[in-house]
Amino acid sequence: MRGFGSTLGLFVPGRGFLYRMPLAPKATASLACALAVVVWRTPLVAVIALAIAIGALTVGARIPPARIVRMLAPAAPVLVILAVYQGITQGWVRAFAVVGGITACLLAARAVTLTTPVQVLLDGVARLARPFRRVGADPERFALALSIMLRSIPYLAGMFVDIRDAARARWLQRSMRVAVTPLVVGAVAYAQRTGEALAARGLGEHDDGARDGAGDGVGVGGAAGDNARGDAGTSATEPS
Amino acid sequence: MQPTGETTTESIGDRRPSSRTRWDATDLSLVAVFAALIAALAIVPGIPVGPLGVPITLQTLGVMLAGVVLGPARGTAAVLLYLAAGLIGLPVFSGFSGGFGVLAGPSAGYLLAFPLAALVAGAFARLILRGSARFRTGLLFLGCLAASLLTIHPLGIAGLMVNAGLPLREAVIVDAAYLPGDVVKNVLAAILAVSVHRAFPRLLGGRGR
Repeated sequence: MRGFGSTLGLFVPGRGFLYRMPLAPKATASLACALAVVVWRTPLVAVIALAIAIGALTVGARIPPARIVRMLAPAAPVLVILAVYQGITQGWVRAFAVVGGITACLLAARAVTLTTPVQVLLDGVARLARPFRRVGADPERFALALSIMLRSIPYLAGMFVDIRDAARARWLQRSMRVAVTPLVVGAVAYAQRTGEALAARGLGEHDDGARDGAGDGVGVGGAAGDNARGDAGTSATEPS
Repeated sequence: MQPTGETTTESIGDRRPSSRTRWDATDLSLVAVFAALIAALAIVPGIPVGPLGVPITLQTLGVMLAGVVLGPARGTAAVLLYLAAGLIGLPVFSGFSGGFGVLAGPSAGYLLAFPLAALVAGAFARLILRGSARFRTGLLFLGCLAASLLTIHPLGIAGLMVNAGLPLREAVIVDAAYLPGDVVKNVLAAILAVSVHRAFPRLLGGRGR
């Protein structure tokens, strides 16, 4: 299995003021950057947003320029094609405004996820989802689902690469079906194992199960449900 | 763990509005793992197509699979979780992009259509899987195709018009470039769904999900 974890752009320890800044202002700045770019599609806004995003990454997180360029490499084909098309049809100034703006948004978002530990990010999301409790949402379960998802991505992506390699070794690389069937079946099996592991630890059940006294025999949904979310990811969803 | 979920549903069901089904830990992790599956399929490099370079990836395959494997409710939840993860900045969209900036990009319409696509495909799948086992693959394919024609393509075209400033006719032409790939992915989704439901018969169908 290959490690896709590092390419996911999640927290990398480092120094700089972005690391010490709380999540809320960072996320607000990133969101404001995106909003500004969408609302005003002018070159000036693109330049300002790019300057802020690159400045934040180089000064605030002390990331060398070469690594910033490498961060953009996977998105580069799309950005280049978009730039050329916009340049030809609507002028190069407009092309710069659009592509520069999108690039700035990508970098700003990356600046947040690179400098915030995953647990802090998840807690922030749960806090953000709290107002939706009134309409029946459960922020804690949302954050738990998000953390299971994050831990499953490297496992599944690695499994996908492995299966493709195996198919290639048997000269079956042209068959998408051969490449994807084991992945999906494996994903369902993995999810069921994870679900069993969660249930065994009393995680992931609805909270009112505990409040109602769990009279229906779902004992596991009780006391452990609230406090042990943090270690759900580490212990229950370890790829086996 | 399956019976546990059922007792929970029944005992609480009389006090709760029935619109909200109760999910046990396995449902939760199925939703989370399928959101991860969409992400894994999306970040494996895609091929940028057309003048705007909205890439062809297996992302839409993941979306359709979430619908036809998990059913409408859990499938939509998985896609929404995936979108939420991408929008808060995790690079799970194709090309390792993420953050609210994608809503400014040309593929925004496609992304916003994904939950609806999973909902429609899932609703069809539930109907089909409750019926007879004959022609199941073909019917599932038609369900997926209908879902993508009803949701992904209209909203995708709208996104191209708004964010890339294309006139309607050109947007339709650009969008048409994705149709052949879509048909292939829908065939694949149907075949895969049949295999998965054969391997895990209790996943969907007959259980009110």
